[in-house]
Amino acid sequence: MSKKKKEIKSEEKLIEELKAALGPQLEEAYIKRPRRIHLKVKPGAHRKAVEYMRDNWDLWHVSTITGVDLGENIEVIFHLWRFKEPQTAIMVRTYVPKSNPKLETITDILPSSNFYEREVHDLLGVVFEGHPNLERLILPEDWPEGVYPLRKDWQPTQE
Amino acid sequence: MDVKPRIGYVHRGIEKALENRTYIQGAFLVERVCGICSNAHQCTFMMATEEAGGIEVSEKANFIRTIVAELERIHSHLLWLGAAGLEIGFETLFMYVWRDREVVMDLLEAISGNRVNYAMNILGGVRRDISPELADKIRKGLDYLEERTNYYKKLCLEESTVRKRTEGVGVLDPVTGVKLGAVGPTIRASGVKFDVRKNDPHLKYDEADFELITWDTCDTFGRVVVRVLETIESIKIIRWCLDHMPKKGDIMPEKLIRRVPEGEAYARFEAQRGELIYYVKSNGTDKPYRVKIRTPTMANILSVAELLKGCYIADLPIALASIDPCFSCEDRITFIDIEKEKTWTWTREELRRYSREFNEKEKRW
Repeated sequence: MSKKKKEIKSEEKLIEELKAALGPQLEEAYIKRPRRIHLKVKPGAHRKAVEYMRDNWDLWHVSTITGVDLGENIEVIFHLWRFKEPQTAIMVRTYVPKSNPKLETITDILPSSNFYEREVHDLLGVVFEGHPNLERLILPEDWPEGVYPLRKDWQPTQE
Repeated sequence: MDVKPRIGYVHRGIEKALENRTYIQGAFLVERVCGICSNAHQCTFMMATEEAGGIEVSEKANFIRTIVAELERIHSHLLWLGAAGLEIGFETLFMYVWRDREVVMDLLEAISGNRVNYAMNILGGVRRDISPELADKIRKGLDYLEERTNYYKKLCLEESTVRKRTEGVGVLDPVTGVKLGAVGPTIRASGVKFDVRKNDPHLKYDEADFELITWDTCDTFGRVVVRVLETIESIKIIRWCLDHMPKKGDIMPEKLIRRVPEGEAYARFEAQRGELIYYVKSNGTDKPYRVKIRTPTMANILSVAELLKGCYIADLPIALASIDPCFSCEDRITFIDIEKEKTWTWTREELRRYSREFNEKEKRW
């Protein structure tokens, strides 16, 4: 077995586990390099994925949540870190249509996602349903409602 | 005391600005995210971009990046120790530490030409080399810093002023800390072994010989000790790097890299304050499609709100400072006295003054 293959063996095991738990809701899973697992789940299944990891792996650490404007959809990526051996970063990505950007919150499962969900809501307009306090976090109070600066259709007026 | 955090008015739209700038321009913009951990930001942005585009970094450049990162950690931890001295009314400590910090600032200036915003990293390497003469100069500086830091270690562990004002202040138990996503010295002072340099090694940290520092008192005192001990470990890492750095080799690619192939990557870096995250999505042009930055202070805000609960108002300055927060210092704090139904707002200066007077009156040092 080559060195690289050996290095990612433990990550492969974790993916097998997730495949068994999530079934067809897991659309895509691959290992980019040692300690980097990428998952893509159907919208809504992110809760199940995160809950499985918390209950079975004792995973609590949300590094951050990234929102990316992909045109039709907004991609939401949950960056998680697994403390237990084998330690690895796990990216759980899902997507919501831009016309109706609603996603269920994970704050009740992983409380550390609280501020990151507010940030994505503020800058990209993704509504996290069930969030305890989805107030404005970053933008100033007099910023117009419904204008989301990190969407591609918004451009700064002057540089 | 109960606490509800609001993060204030320092949003500058850097993530959006990066989308409209080339990677080369962006490298110098991200340095301005924070003046104290400027190299950490630039280095992480480069690491994420390099991984996204499959750009190779030379061996020697990785050594130099590690050296600058650790020198920056020394300067930041010493700066923090001085500032903490000021918060607890120990001004002699502040004066001493900041005098010694000049040594590491001079070293950084000798390497990069600047005291802050070193502008060391570019795609695929670093911009300046460390010559053998410079390496000797760094070694000499490190000897002095090690002697001084050992003295501060003794001082912090034994001096009653430090202990009285920090022990039992701002307690964060490890279970809550992990659940709220605390990072860096904040969580390591609660005994949790969470350090990106060991857990997810980048640069040369997988080979360098150093200890992961933790302390189990869970309070502000622990955070002081963790930072002082980490400074000593940083000195060890730099010495190791200077000894093992290849004598020859390129430090940057021959041709400046402008375009980055399509891809995405997520880089983690142990900045001075904790885990720093950059997510970069490239689309084959010379500008990134999306850059996401998560600074360590953002991760620590939920925990600081937790650890301030139940504190004396007079302990607020040091307990808040104990996470080494990075925001513009003019942010104010509003107090609401529920029993007297009174609301008032203090700036940091006013709060600091109150803290001093209260502690003097109560003889808490």
